[in-house]
Amino acid sequence: MDQLFLLELEDIVGVDGVVRDQAELITYESDGLVSHRSRPGVAVLPETAEQVQGVVRLCHRSGVPFVARGQGTGLSAGALPHPKGVLIVMTRMNRVLDIDLANRRITVEPGVMNLDVTRRVSGDGYYYAPDPSSQSICSIGGNFAENSGGAHCLKYGFTVHHVLGAEAVLPDGEIVHLGGDALDSPGLDLLGVLVGSEGTLAVVTKVTLGLLRRPESVRTLLAAFDSTDSAGNAVSDIISAGIIPAAIEMMDRTTIRAAEAAVHPGFPDAEAVLIVELDGSETEVAALFEQIETVCSQNKGWGVQVARDEEQRGRIWMGRKAAFAAMGRITPSYYVQDGVIPRSTLPEVLRRIRELEQDSGLTIGNVFHAGDGNLHPLVCYDDGVEGQAELAERVASEILSYCLDVGGSLTGEHGIGADKACHMPKMFSENDLATMQLVRTAFDPGQLCNPDKLFPTPRLCGEVPGPYRPHPVEAAGLAERL
Amino acid sequence: MADVTLSPGTLVTEIDSLVGSKVARVGTDGDSIDAILPTVVAEPTRASSVGQILGWASGRGVSVSVRGGGTKSGWGGPSGPIDVLLSTRAMNRVEAHRYSDLTATVQAGATLSKTNAVLAEHRQWLPLDPHNDEQATIGGIVATNDSGPRRHRHGAPRDLIIGMTLARVDGVIAKSGGIVVKNVAGYDLARLLTGSFGCLGVILSATFKLAPVAEASRTVLVELPKVDVCARYTADLIAHASTPTALEVSVPQGTMLVRFESVETVVISEATRAAALAEKAGATATVLVGDDELEAWRTHQAQVFVEGHTIVKLTVMPSELVSTLTWLEEEVRVRRLDYGLIGRVGLGVCYLRLQGAIAEQVSLILALRDRLPVGRGSAVIRQSNLELKKLIDTWGPIGDGFRIMRAVKQQFDPTGMLNPSHGPGGL
Repeated sequence: MDQLFLLELEDIVGVDGVVRDQAELITYESDGLVSHRSRPGVAVLPETAEQVQGVVRLCHRSGVPFVARGQGTGLSAGALPHPKGVLIVMTRMNRVLDIDLANRRITVEPGVMNLDVTRRVSGDGYYYAPDPSSQSICSIGGNFAENSGGAHCLKYGFTVHHVLGAEAVLPDGEIVHLGGDALDSPGLDLLGVLVGSEGTLAVVTKVTLGLLRRPESVRTLLAAFDSTDSAGNAVSDIISAGIIPAAIEMMDRTTIRAAEAAVHPGFPDAEAVLIVELDGSETEVAALFEQIETVCSQNKGWGVQVARDEEQRGRIWMGRKAAFAAMGRITPSYYVQDGVIPRSTLPEVLRRIRELEQDSGLTIGNVFHAGDGNLHPLVCYDDGVEGQAELAERVASEILSYCLDVGGSLTGEHGIGADKACHMPKMFSENDLATMQLVRTAFDPGQLCNPDKLFPTPRLCGEVPGPYRPHPVEAAGLAERL
Repeated sequence: MADVTLSPGTLVTEIDSLVGSKVARVGTDGDSIDAILPTVVAEPTRASSVGQILGWASGRGVSVSVRGGGTKSGWGGPSGPIDVLLSTRAMNRVEAHRYSDLTATVQAGATLSKTNAVLAEHRQWLPLDPHNDEQATIGGIVATNDSGPRRHRHGAPRDLIIGMTLARVDGVIAKSGGIVVKNVAGYDLARLLTGSFGCLGVILSATFKLAPVAEASRTVLVELPKVDVCARYTADLIAHASTPTALEVSVPQGTMLVRFESVETVVISEATRAAALAEKAGATATVLVGDDELEAWRTHQAQVFVEGHTIVKLTVMPSELVSTLTWLEEEVRVRRLDYGLIGRVGLGVCYLRLQGAIAEQVSLILALRDRLPVGRGSAVIRQSNLELKKLIDTWGPIGDGFRIMRAVKQQFDPTGMLNPSHGPGGL
């Protein structure tokens, strides 16, 4: 990097806010998708919106690309640094600025952890709904960029449904305020576009979130099935009965075994299990819970466990949320995929995945957010065997094409990032992508804000995305995936 | 905007020959918006024809305004000259109801009530209940992000939309999102166009997540002794984790409606508890069901949605709703205005009806805006006569984000030929 440029950065964020040491920069080489690596030209750690503004203005003036990063737990290389650019690390901007319980709102800086939002208000009976499994280590800024969901988004929606307003630094360094504390601020819903734009339109410096009142009652049930088809039918029947549970999760034999080996949640030895959670008023939960038990038994569900208390509920969820990290117990390596299908096509897609398993010779475990059709196939492989990593990556790509064949999506929650940018033309036409680019051009005509993400580019798509390797944070057992 | 030498007949002929069928006619008085007579009206039956007409209009330099059911044509800023009024009404099918997936794709010109009649075959609905659902179309409801009382539970169109097909001003047809509920691939153009008042592109069809039709419903009619009891009662409901699907206040009547929808046993128990809490707060409460319930909701809406009166959409912080209502009561009195207001108590979203001297209405709206800093509330004119529209900005202050909104409009519609001056802030 140009020395003068670096000195100017130091003027803006202070000497201790600039990381230029090559060894130190290794920390920032990748996000949670460690197969994509790129060392940033320089990293800065601003503490205020004005400092972010200063950095972005400088980049704009100098034509230097910049990438914002939170905790780096993303799984699509969305925070992959630019080798000639500035990585803006938002972790020092981690203050809770305002809690307004009368209006059920909280205003935070983007570096605040997802779970800390709930922790700050849980004593008063409130919580923040989006709950990605990484919620103890992922920050709100990243959730905002990726439009994160979680197991409970079936009923409560995603980040975009809970963000009320944001302060953002545009790629030319201007600060704007979108949305607000009150609903329906007049104007185009740019906030709705900014959420989920993967950091390609602006750097967010402040976010106002909506909070929900803790439900009066929560009940969780686990049921075993002799086939994923019957479990899938039970899911369809629950929805057809007019019930929208807070969550419906499914695991197959492979992932059940992995979870049992790792955290012993006491899951039955079955082809599939469903975890169904209902919340709401006590009378409503009681009434609907009966219906769900009936649906499960009609679909030959067995081994039904109903969580009697928070402890048992916690154990069931631990089994589910640990499923990915637990895969390490049964395979040396695995490639994690994130695709979405219409819920009703689950049996068809699972059948194709099973055929692919047989054809490829690689074990494929499945964990789903079954209620909303979000699949997370885990393609197991041994990177000690030559060619298997590449095979796993091809198998994972093939599964994505099954999702698209039935009208699904390339990603339900991990985002496109650098990882799936080259797949975008499989889901969107040139015209679709060109229309999205209109938004990009309005915000960032110089294409300096998180370049080479989300949209396919010839440079990017000449490269082959690599297979999954565990993130150091994950390998150390500090966090689980999804 | 159009070359003045172009006669209506020429435009009609050009559009018909372009599309290859008879879709255009000369505009008549019934087509007027803000007393502006559109030169021609085109009502294509196919999405591709919309693209053709827009592409042609761009090349020709003629302006295009879009109309669905026409229920919101007067919303937004005062209309400029309209060369082509593009009606979506001939594209009015529910394209797909994927009832197992609880989603549906609906063409822009379908009315909400027709859409919900189709979806009801599988006991589902698009959970939106804005005023005028018999005439209002999906395209118009999405373009204005319009909603009704049950937004309290189900959200607004922007919360339910999962995909969209749109036509750009250059005639290109593009899509965003898809047919699955969970999907983070690409920019969310569907949300961008939702509430854009048609200023960025023409909505051709939209895909939504749906809700099951509830088996039973009850509404508690609460008569407040004083309007500030509303705040205490609402806090009690929240503290008891009550889960109404609608929570409304109406002034000057001083009533609230609290609706519960679920299975029979649940709605009875929830309504009974909500009624008891109301009595405890010093109000009187009646649990309504069936025709009585429907009538209560009709009466509620009728406080505000009156033809020929001014309607302002007012948003405030929920905690400031009651103080706003108290302030309003005094302000309309001194201005000798007739008024009615219904509000979503949990959300701070209200609809205010005004009638009386125009200058007094203008003064009241300006006074309201003075109370509401950008981001803490807004007072947007929804329906008014032309005189008032010309005296006061429809939108009020938008804030520092307007700059980038203008840049987005510039990208989507560089010449400003689509719904000119109807977009937010006059975009």
